Amino acid sequence: MAPTSVPATAPPQGPAAAPGSAWSPDLTPSQPVYDGRLGELYAIYLRHLAMMLVTLGWSRFWGRTRIRRYVWNHLSVLGDRFEYRGRGIELMIGFLLALLLVAAWSGLMYLVWLYVFHEKPFATFGLFDLFSLSVVLIGFPLAYVGHYAGLRYKLSRTRWRGIRCGMAGSAWGYGAIATFLQFANAMTGYLLTPVVSVNLARPRIVNTRVGTQGFTFAGRAGDIYGRYLGYYFLNIVAWIAAAVATFMAIGGTIETLGFSSDDFLKLFAHPSLHTVVVVLLIAFAAYLVFGLLILPLRCWWQAYLLRYLVTHSRADNVLFATAISTWQMWGFLVLNYLIVLLTLGLGWPWVMHRTMKLIAGQLWIYGAPQGSEIRQPTDRGPGYGEGLLDMFDVSGV
Amino acid sequence: MAARYYDGVTADVQDVTLKVTSHELLINRSEDSALVARWPVAELVVLGDSHHEAVPPLALRGSEARLVVEDPAWRAQLVSLVPALKPLALEPVKVAPRLGTYSLAIVALVGLFWSAIEYGTEYAVPLLPYTLQAKLGETVLDGLLADKETCQGQAGLAAINRLANDLAREAGYRHEVTVHIVEGGPVNAFTLPGSILVFYSDLITQAKDSSQVAGVLAHEIGHVVHDHPIKGVARAYGIDLLFKVLTGGYSDILSTFGTGGGALLAMRNGRAFEREADATGVRLLEQRGLRADGVSTFFEQMIEKEPSDAASAAGIWSSHPPTRERIEATKRPPTGRPAFSAAEWQALRNVCK
Repeated sequence: MAPTSVPATAPPQGPAAAPGSAWSPDLTPSQPVYDGRLGELYAIYLRHLAMMLVTLGWSRFWGRTRIRRYVWNHLSVLGDRFEYRGRGIELMIGFLLALLLVAAWSGLMYLVWLYVFHEKPFATFGLFDLFSLSVVLIGFPLAYVGHYAGLRYKLSRTRWRGIRCGMAGSAWGYGAIATFLQFANAMTGYLLTPVVSVNLARPRIVNTRVGTQGFTFAGRAGDIYGRYLGYYFLNIVAWIAAAVATFMAIGGTIETLGFSSDDFLKLFAHPSLHTVVVVLLIAFAAYLVFGLLILPLRCWWQAYLLRYLVTHSRADNVLFATAISTWQMWGFLVLNYLIVLLTLGLGWPWVMHRTMKLIAGQLWIYGAPQGSEIRQPTDRGPGYGEGLLDMFDVSGV
Repeated sequence: MAARYYDGVTADVQDVTLKVTSHELLINRSEDSALVARWPVAELVVLGDSHHEAVPPLALRGSEARLVVEDPAWRAQLVSLVPALKPLALEPVKVAPRLGTYSLAIVALVGLFWSAIEYGTEYAVPLLPYTLQAKLGETVLDGLLADKETCQGQAGLAAINRLANDLAREAGYRHEVTVHIVEGGPVNAFTLPGSILVFYSDLITQAKDSSQVAGVLAHEIGHVVHDHPIKGVARAYGIDLLFKVLTGGYSDILSTFGTGGGALLAMRNGRAFEREADATGVRLLEQRGLRADGVSTFFEQMIEKEPSDAASAAGIWSSHPPTRERIEATKRPPTGRPAFSAAEWQALRNVCK
């Protein structure tokens, strides 16, 4: 049996059975366990990097698969490890198909350019301009489609207790909803964020399957609006405070040092090592001001949102909870970002390791599924995957 | 040997004990020893290996059932009984030596990749089919000239194209060079892949004499004969690829840094190309016995108009070397035959009329 977690701390208060309900489910708490080792993960990752250099990036499909095999199998729930059975060739086929899609789109754009934009008065709008603009326009919705389809692929290659996971629903439908909601949110000054968060989480949660076992989600945007509005207006105040603090700090420094804008231009045009170091320190200090004033607020909201989404999800009689704090969310969102940034990407396995540890430490599962009720699905999932994700989005592991 | 058995039909878990006979793996329920399954040894497969999976599942070929043996000692024992199951218990990875080896390999490969970009393009680019280069150049030219008026004076175009091809042949260049003249400014000229040169007419009308136009033309021919346009594209693509491969494209902000770094390297390449084109241009004029002081006098004229020198002020962000440095490098006496005859020069001055 895989290692099971011994709770070091008391679990967050578990969900109670509905009042008046005769049913009293087993709500024994447990946590996932991640027993991967950072050194081993780095060994796999560095091999992947070396192969990437040799193959000019074409080995990435197989590298990603190896990393997933390691991470998945070192995570266990209720004593049973996950299993990843995806293959590199499936990812490569997905990528090649996405490439074909882009090629077909390029052909279409060429025809549009030839018959519409080639002649004046549109002549300044060149083929490259048309193609770039069209890719930006289709890339935005396709990234969402890719996210959903990529999740479907990953789940279809994931097994728990020998049972395949999966994802129902339409990736294109999700892409359409996500594009519309994000557009509407941007148009309303991001006041629709709770609506967007809940309505984009819902299809991903309720369409997830472990075998024949589905999930339900009982979240409503109205529940979280109060907290969001608090965050929204505090955020505006924090931005103003950060801008004033930065302006005063930089303005004061310039005056003290007696620099003119010409001096600055010279420094940047002919930078010495000293200039480079100073610029990096200033950038880091600016990020710190940003990190101290703005990001904790964002993490406060994100931690709340995650707690809400997790506690309002269930799989039959299995309930979920997390007590993830603002500080832990800061570590996840901000520190992980800094690790990747400051290591020029080499810290990625470390971030992955930290994330798996965070999931294992912060997710609580109440109850256990009726194993005999969950059956192997007949659907084997897509034959290939993640092409759109690879093409239109930053696609990590 | 204790294990966990998943039947592949439901998510039920059974704690089982294993017994290996000469042909079969017998799987019995732990609690009552009831036989759960008999798997022929020849049909057993290990899914994955112990270097990637913490516990590689054991399966029967073609079946969805799984057997998981958590205890490494028992896995090793199973392997000793059935050697074909070796991936169940591979030698543990020695992490430190492996990390060291891969790190060294990566450093060496980055060096190799970098050298291939820096020096390999020198040899690889001429091997690129010329028709492809020409197609690329024509596509860019179409976009650039879409809303511009080009000068159509036949005699002037013939003059500048004649000199361009004379200089190119002097350098042993095999392809036909085509010069286009765009009406108006800026005072500039540039080269596209496929031996396509673009001159702005302001450069011709503001030139003090024909040697300056010839000097600029010779400089552009320097770009052509060294395949600078296509080398620039290849190097920019190579640097971008190296950065993406190394970082895995895992962070937007890293991509931003990468783009900035790539731009800086492109500028550095640009400055090197300009120096090489300057030197080649002057050499070609001298080889043909033509006046070769036009390049430096053209730059002197530029400095007179803009004493602050934008290239020098922009420093590492400039695609061209400082103008004063270029004047020093290309300074030549005003000797030699004129590059254009009086009639040619007159026609060139009137090319847009």
